[in-house]
Amino acid sequence: MSEVTQNTYWKSLNELAQNQEYKNFVEREFPENATELNDGVSRRGFLRVMGASIALAGFAACRRPVQKILPYSHQPEDIVPGIPLFYASAMPFQGSLTGLVIENHEGRPTKVEGNDLHPASHGNTNAYHQASMLEMYDPDRSRRPSRNGAKSSTADFATFASEYFADTNKRIAFISEANSSPTYNALKNSALSKFGNASWVTFEPFGEDNIIEGNRIAFGSRLRTHYNYTNADVVVSLDDDFLAATHPNNVEYAKQVTGRRKVTSTSDNMSRIYSVENGFTLTGSFADNRLRIKASEIGSFANALAGALSSRINGLNAFSSVNNSFSNNEFLTALADDLASNAGRTAVSIGLDHSAEAHAVVAAINYALGNTGSTVSYLEVPHFDNQNNMEAFADVVSGMKAGNFDAVVLIGTNPVFTAPANLDFSGALANVEEVIQLSSYSDETSKKASWHVGRSHYLESWGDGFSYGGARSVIQPQIQPLHDSLSEIEFLSTIINGAKGSGYELVQNTFNGYYRTGFNNKWKDILHDGIDITDGFNAARVRLSNSIAPASESAVSGIEVVIRPDASIYDGRFANLGWLQELPDPMTKITWDNVALMSPNTAEQLGVKNEDVVSVTINGTSIEIAAWIQPGHVDNSISLTVGYGREGIGRVADYDNEQKAGGINVYPLRSTSGMLFNSGTISASNSTYAIACVQDHHSLEGRDMYRQASLSKYRETPDFASFAYVHKYEVPGMKEAEEMDEDAPISLFDEQTYPADEPQWGMAIDLNSCFGCGVCVIACQSENNIPVIGKTEVNRGREMHWIRNDRYYVGDDTGSPQAVHQPVPCMHCELAPCEQVCPVAATTHSDDGMNQMTYNRCIGTRYCANNCPFKVRRFNFFNYPKEYLTTGEDPDIIQMAMNPEVTVRFRGVMEKCTYCVQRVNRAKINTKIETGSPKPADGTVKTACQQACPADAIYFGDLTDNNSVVSQMKHNERNYLMLEELNVRPRTSYMAKLSNPNPVLVKETNQEPAH
Amino acid sequence: MAQIFPKWTNQVPRKILIGLIVTANVVILGIWYFFSPKYTDVGYAPIQPVPYSHKLHVDKLGLDCQYCHTSVFDSKQANVPATQTCMNCHGQIKTDSEKLAPIRESWETGKAVEWVRVNNLADYAYFNHAAHVNVGVGCESCHGRIDKMEVVYQAEPLSMGWCLDCHRAPEKFLRPVEEVTTMGYKVDDQMLIGSELVKKNNVSPPQYCQGCHY
Repeated sequence: MSEVTQNTYWKSLNELAQNQEYKNFVEREFPENATELNDGVSRRGFLRVMGASIALAGFAACRRPVQKILPYSHQPEDIVPGIPLFYASAMPFQGSLTGLVIENHEGRPTKVEGNDLHPASHGNTNAYHQASMLEMYDPDRSRRPSRNGAKSSTADFATFASEYFADTNKRIAFISEANSSPTYNALKNSALSKFGNASWVTFEPFGEDNIIEGNRIAFGSRLRTHYNYTNADVVVSLDDDFLAATHPNNVEYAKQVTGRRKVTSTSDNMSRIYSVENGFTLTGSFADNRLRIKASEIGSFANALAGALSSRINGLNAFSSVNNSFSNNEFLTALADDLASNAGRTAVSIGLDHSAEAHAVVAAINYALGNTGSTVSYLEVPHFDNQNNMEAFADVVSGMKAGNFDAVVLIGTNPVFTAPANLDFSGALANVEEVIQLSSYSDETSKKASWHVGRSHYLESWGDGFSYGGARSVIQPQIQPLHDSLSEIEFLSTIINGAKGSGYELVQNTFNGYYRTGFNNKWKDILHDGIDITDGFNAARVRLSNSIAPASESAVSGIEVVIRPDASIYDGRFANLGWLQELPDPMTKITWDNVALMSPNTAEQLGVKNEDVVSVTINGTSIEIAAWIQPGHVDNSISLTVGYGREGIGRVADYDNEQKAGGINVYPLRSTSGMLFNSGTISASNSTYAIACVQDHHSLEGRDMYRQASLSKYRETPDFASFAYVHKYEVPGMKEAEEMDEDAPISLFDEQTYPADEPQWGMAIDLNSCFGCGVCVIACQSENNIPVIGKTEVNRGREMHWIRNDRYYVGDDTGSPQAVHQPVPCMHCELAPCEQVCPVAATTHSDDGMNQMTYNRCIGTRYCANNCPFKVRRFNFFNYPKEYLTTGEDPDIIQMAMNPEVTVRFRGVMEKCTYCVQRVNRAKINTKIETGSPKPADGTVKTACQQACPADAIYFGDLTDNNSVVSQMKHNERNYLMLEELNVRPRTSYMAKLSNPNPVLVKETNQEPAH
Repeated sequence: MAQIFPKWTNQVPRKILIGLIVTANVVILGIWYFFSPKYTDVGYAPIQPVPYSHKLHVDKLGLDCQYCHTSVFDSKQANVPATQTCMNCHGQIKTDSEKLAPIRESWETGKAVEWVRVNNLADYAYFNHAAHVNVGVGCESCHGRIDKMEVVYQAEPLSMGWCLDCHRAPEKFLRPVEEVTTMGYKVDDQMLIGSELVKKNNVSPPQYCQGCHY
C-alpha cells in the first residue's frame, strides 16, 4: 500500500498468511449463505435465543389500529409521561457495589448508566452492568419458589421456614456468595447467634481469599489490597487482568490507569505498564511491555523480582538469596531497575487466583518500594469472615458428607456447578435433609435442592453495601419485583424470623444506625446521590512481617492447564444473557462458546488447528473442547474458561444441539489443589467443532486504519499520524484543491451545505485510551434495541452490533505480537459513499451533519453496505419484532426491556450507528425550549458508548463550537481519519495510539515503531 | 357485399380510448383522495368509555387545555389526564351521574380508564408536543376546534405532507406562545406576524429525515 515501512496489522493467523481460506472469505461481501433465508429449523433455533428484540406497537396489518390510552388513576407525583426519570442505585458483583444511575420510562427501567458521584463508577460502567438490565427482564429467570420441584410460593416458604427453623438447635450450614451489605451481614450475625449449631462460609469460585490470606501472611491481618493507579508512574501486573470486567473493581481501575495516559501535547507524560502473563489479556494488550510466561511460573517471577529488587532497595533481604530461572531475565532486570528508580510511584499487582504466598511477596515488594499509602492501601473490610473460606468450604462439604448437617442454606451461589470437582458437592447434598437455595435462575443446584426460591434482581429490591474501595451505597429498586421472589435480605430474614419483613425497613434501619440526628434528610440525600460515604473502610497502618519468605515455586514442567472466569459470562452466572453471549470475547473475538486457547507453537506440536477438538485431561478427568490458536499465548500452556456447557438453565444458556452452541463445562477439571493451574495432558482427536468467531468479519483487508507510535517518537515527530507522514505523499486531490483555493480535497460529488444555525456533530476516538473491553458494544445494544441473533447467524456474518471492536495483532511475530483495539461505529462521512448508491434515498444527510438512515424508506437492496468502506452497516435478515411479538414466549416481559425512544427495526431494513440521534434530538429540543438556542451546550449530549466507556476514549460533540472537547481533540496532531485517501470525510476520527515502552526492552526491529 | 360492421363502429376505438382515459383518471383521482389520510382518517371519532364533551368543558365552562393536558409544554406527550384530574371536580359535582361511573370505578379500583386514541401518528414517526407549543404552534392547528367538539374527532390528516406544509413555511401557522391554547385565534396579517415570530423564536423546523424518523 504505502512505501513506508509499516508494521503488519492482522486480525487472524489466516489473514497474516493470506491463505486461500481467508481470501475466499473476504472476497465475498456477505459470507456464504448469508443471502439465503434458511427458514425452518434455523428459525426455530432462533426462538431459543433470548428475544431482546421486540416491537412496541402491535397490529401493524390493520389500517386503523385501535389503540388505547391508559392514563394513571392516581398520578404519581414525579412522573411526567414521556420524560424519563433517573434514579441512583448500585449493582453488586463479587461482594462489591458499583454505583449506577438507572433510566426509567414511566416506571420501567430501561438503561443502566454510571453514577458520576460514585468512586467505583465515576459515571462509567462495564459490560456486566449494562447487561444486568437484560437479566431483570429475562423470561427464564426463576418465577416462583419450588418445593421438591413442584410449584410453590414465597408465602409457603415462609410458613415452612417458621416451622422448620423454630428448632434453633438445627445444624445448619449457610453457604453464601460474597456480599458486602451491612444489613445482610447484620442478619448473618443474628442467624449465627440464633442457631447455635450453624456455620457460615462464603463461597465464590473466583473469590478474593488468596489476596486476603496473602496480606495476612505479609502484615498479620486479613486485609483487602486497593490500588490507586492515579499515583502510579509504573504499573506492573503479574497475571492480573484488572482492566477486564471480571475484576470486581475494573471500572475504577480502568479510569485511573487510562487517566494517566491522556496525552494532548508532546510535553505530557504517560505512565508505563508492564504485564507478565500466560494468555493474552486486556491488560496485557494495553501494556507497554509484555512478557509471556506460564501461569505456574508467576510465583517464581514474583520471587525473582523481589530478589532483584533486594539489591536495589531496602527491606527485601528475605529475598536476596532467590535464584531461579528468571533471576537473570532481561525483562525482569529492566523492570526491577524501573521500579527501583520510581519507588513510591509504582504499583505491583498479582492475579487474585495466584497463591496467598505469591500475594504476600507482592505485598512485600509494594511495601519495600514505599508504595503503601500512595498507590496501594490495605483496607480493613468489616464483613470479611475470619477464616480462609476455601478451606472452610471444604470442611463444610466433608461435614455434609459425614451427616453433620440437617440443613444447607445456599444464598446466591451455585456450588453444584461451580465448586471444585474433587469436593463432590453434589454428592454431599444427598446426605442433607433440607437443601434450601436462593438463586436467580433454576440452576444446577436448584435441581438438587428441596426448596428453591427465586432471587429478586437488584433493580427490583432494596439492598445496600460497599464498593471495593469502601464507598457505602443503597441499592434502590426501580420497579416492584416482576415475579414471586425474595431478595437475599428478605430470604435471610424469612429463615430467621419466619417472615420476610420489609427490605426497605431493614435497609433503612441499618442506615438509621449510622446517623443519630437528621436521618430523614440524610436518607433522602443517600437515595438521591446513590452514595453515602466514600471512606467506609479504614486503611490499615501496616508493617511487613519479619517472617516474610519467598513463595514456594510450583512451575509445571510439561503442559499446564489454566482455568479462568470467562470474559463474557464470568463464572456462568451471566450465561443466560444473550447480549453477553454474543459479545465477542475482547481478545479472541469468539462468541457463544468457550475454547482451549494455546500458542501457535503448542498447536503445531500437537498438530491441531482452530476448531479441532482436543481432549484435555487433568488427574484422569477429561473434557473435549475445541482448540483455538491465540497469538501471544505462552507455549505449553492451555487456557480454559468456565461457565459454559449448561443444561436446564434457560433458553440462551443451555447447550443448543441444533445450533451446536453453548460450549463445554470446564469445572470438572478444577480441583482444590489446582484452582488456577494444574499440570495436564492434551491430545488431538479427529473431530472438529465450529466456532463463531467474528475476527475476520467486516474486514478492511489490511488497509491503513490503525496508527501508533512510541511516546519518544511522538515527541520527535508530532505529526506521525498524518496521512502525509505515513504515506509520504499528500492526500490525493489535495494538490488540485490547493490550486483551486479549497480546504479539502476536491470531490466528484456535490458537497453538502449545512445551515449555520445547526450544530455539526462529530466524534473522536482516542486509541490511546481504549483497552478493548467492549462495554460500548453492550451499551449501544441496550440503548438502540439491537437484537441478538444466535451462533448460526453470527457464523453467517449477520451480527447486528452497531459498533464493533476490532482487535489487531501487530508485527510479524505470531508468538509474541502486540495487540491493539479499535472501536468502529458508523463514520458519518460527509461525502458518504452509501448515500450515492441508495436507489430510494433511504440514507441521506441531515442538516446537523449526520448520515441518517430512514427505515421507512429502505427496501433492502444492501447496496449501501456494499459501498461502505468501513463495513459498519448491518442488515436485518429476520423479522425479530414479529417473531417475538406474535409467536414468541413472554412478549410482555421482553417488550419492557426496549428503549421506547428508538424504533425496533423490521425485516429487510438496513441499520447502523445513528450517533444516538434520539439523545441528540432530545438535547436539541430541550435546549431550544430552555434557552432558545438551536445548539446544545458542549457535554449535553453523550452517546451511549461514550457514556459507558470507563476509559473516556470516546468524545462526541458539536464541531462548530471550537471550544468543545471534541473540536479540541480533532485539532490535536494525533487525530487522523481512517481511509483518508478516499476523501469521504468521516465525521468520526481517531487519535493515534501512543506507547511508552521501557527503552531498554525495545528490540532493534521495533526501533521504527508502527504507524 | 353487406357491411359486417355498421358505420357507428368507426367511432368505437376512439370512444374506448376516451373511456379508458376517463376511467384511468377517475381511478387515480379516486385513489388519490379516498386512500389518503384526508379521507380515511379525518373525521375519525371513536366511541369513548365516557362521553366526555370538550364543547361543554372548554366552550361553556372555560377550562384551559392545560388544566387537563398538563405536560404539553414539558414533554413529548401532552398527557391524557389521570382519573384524579376528573375527580377534582366530579368528587363534588354530578357524583351520581351514570355516565361518570367508569371514572368513579377507576378512582376506586386504581385501574385506568381505557380511552380510545384519536390522533394517531404513523408508526416510526417521532412527535414532541413540547417542541411545538413552545415555539407557538397552536393546539388548534393540529387538533382543530376542540372547543366545538361534542365528540372528539381527528381534524387534520396527520400525513407527512401535511406536517411538511408547516415545517416548510412555519410563518403561515405560528402564533405568539401565550396564544397557543386559544381557540379560534385569527389575525389579519398572519404572514407578517408569523414571519416576525419565526425570527424572534429562531424557528427552523427540521426538514431532514431524522428530525422525526429514528
